[in-house]
Amino acid sequence: MMQLTQTLPGKALFAFLLLLLGGCGTQVTRVDVEETHDLSGAWNDTDSRLVSREMIRDMLGRNWLSDYINKHQRQPAVIVGTIRNLSHEHINVETFINDIEREVINSGRVIFVASRNQRGEVRSERKDQDTHAREDTRKPMGQELGADFILKGSINTIIDVEGKTQLRYYQVDLNLISLTDNRIVWIGSKKIKKLVKNSKLRL
Amino acid sequence: MWHHPASFFTGWLLICGLLLQGCASYSHSFYPIEQKLSRQDPAGALLELEKQGYASGDQLLYLFNKAMLQRMQADFAGSNQTLEKAKRIIQRYAATSITEESAAFMVNDATRTYIGTPLEQVMLHVYAALNYLELGDHDAARVEILQVDVRLRQLMSDAPNSALSVDPFARYLAGMIFEDLGEYSDAMIAYRKAYQAYQLHNSKLYALAIPPALKRDLLRMARRVGLWDEYRKLRQRFAIAEEEITAAPAGEGEIVLILHNGLAPLKREHDVAVVDPGSGRLIRVSLPYYQDRSNRVKGARLIAGKASQTTETVEHIDAIDHKTLEAYMPAITARAIARAVVKYNMAREAGKQDQLAGVLVNIAGFVVERADTRSWLTLPAKIQMARLRLKAGRYNLSLELLDASGRPVRSVKLGEIDLPKGKRRYISYHYIPPYAQRY
Repeated sequence: MMQLTQTLPGKALFAFLLLLLGGCGTQVTRVDVEETHDLSGAWNDTDSRLVSREMIRDMLGRNWLSDYINKHQRQPAVIVGTIRNLSHEHINVETFINDIEREVINSGRVIFVASRNQRGEVRSERKDQDTHAREDTRKPMGQELGADFILKGSINTIIDVEGKTQLRYYQVDLNLISLTDNRIVWIGSKKIKKLVKNSKLRL
Repeated sequence: MWHHPASFFTGWLLICGLLLQGCASYSHSFYPIEQKLSRQDPAGALLELEKQGYASGDQLLYLFNKAMLQRMQADFAGSNQTLEKAKRIIQRYAATSITEESAAFMVNDATRTYIGTPLEQVMLHVYAALNYLELGDHDAARVEILQVDVRLRQLMSDAPNSALSVDPFARYLAGMIFEDLGEYSDAMIAYRKAYQAYQLHNSKLYALAIPPALKRDLLRMARRVGLWDEYRKLRQRFAIAEEEITAAPAGEGEIVLILHNGLAPLKREHDVAVVDPGSGRLIRVSLPYYQDRSNRVKGARLIAGKASQTTETVEHIDAIDHKTLEAYMPAITARAIARAVVKYNMAREAGKQDQLAGVLVNIAGFVVERADTRSWLTLPAKIQMARLRLKAGRYNLSLELLDASGRPVRSVKLGEIDLPKGKRRYISYHYIPPYAQRY
């Protein structure tokens, strides 16, 4: 056996076998949610968190909010509308919307109302209460808080490819539109650029 | 005996060959699945596929076939999940592997991880887009179209002079999806690219007829976007009357029937085995070639009430497969010959030590020499499309399958469909001939 490993093919086979066996077993490592791990270059949770945090911070720091509070003596109610995925990836828009909603509510500066998808279930629950709940605990229909503003947006990408290198440019645009008179009171835009290099060779 | 270098070589060859399972011809293993399909039993075919399992290098083919079989059973969401896995495989194994290339030099080409031909990589996205369209998710179909655009750009930059770097149907479908979403300039660009791709394939690869529907789409979009010069030039070239180019009037919708006709050609191997007169050693060179499957059905007629429309071929997958293999043949042949030389020399080296060892190494090398017959076998031979503009409402659809002279061979019920105003509804039908190819 030893004289076999002295020869070049022997060494090659030995190395080959080691490589084959080296990949045995699954490894699981827990990572902190705040840590950034970029695996394939696609949109990931870090992007979603980063973008929602910065954009909402920007949105709440602008004049429209103070103008509204001065005019109406109360906080505005905002509803999240459609955020279209116009990008190259099947981005989970739901998690992005959840991140946005969390940032908005946790700021406490703005009232948030349930979106179109959520209120379907809420309304049927209310209707159910009408028939089945006790009189003094029933929530009457027609008492919903009407939103003052709707938040809509889109995620766009531009991809530049050269050989094994890709330059990915993401642009997330959000508009805050007044439901009273269609005015766009805030436009936010956040850009992310990633350079992804895939290797030409692998083992 | 175990310490003998020659038996070590033989053992290595056999183990490599068997472990990596390049020893059996892939296309042969497909026969039981095709049998089930020819009995119109995609569920049975899927069970058969799962039962068979796959070699680690062939995982992509397993996923391709599984996605298509799921699609045939209208499990569009499941099919897309499988296609996402397939995308990850292509991404992970796209880089050239040093160990695999070396193994391929000693054993055979089929030991390398399969990442698909350019056409198959494009069809992955096309079928994902079709799945999303049939689920009614136009935005997700749009994402697939953008992904296929990136893939086509990569192909074009890798091989700018090859007519195989463009795909006509991928562009045509892209145009239709953009038009559905109201993105007319993007639709115009996609239709134009589709037209150019059809022309390039026609002039450089195989004879085809440019689908008349595309000509009308091009003109309609040119008019819509305001490209009057192009509109006039194209109208002259196509010789189409003005009345045929109207957009759908309000109150009408369009049914788009996509017929996936037959099954793609399969690869067989052509063996040349000779005995070297000087040394008595066996030399084998095994090369792949495509064999078309026979199919009586050449087209179909979509019938909805009194209205009907015959299909036009929008993608000649069989012809593109043939031409792709043709383009690869010089490299495949060179590798096969180099491999034969390597194996001959190994046998000679072993023979210097011990004559029996030389014979064993020679036989081992001979046995594992197989051609790479892997391809996506559940792709159709041709994709054909028929479009019917109808007033919004509910229709009972049926499909008449036609032979080469236009005579009906079979009639198929496609079920009821609700056609909304001003929208397109996409439906697919996979036709598998009722007889499995004997091989």
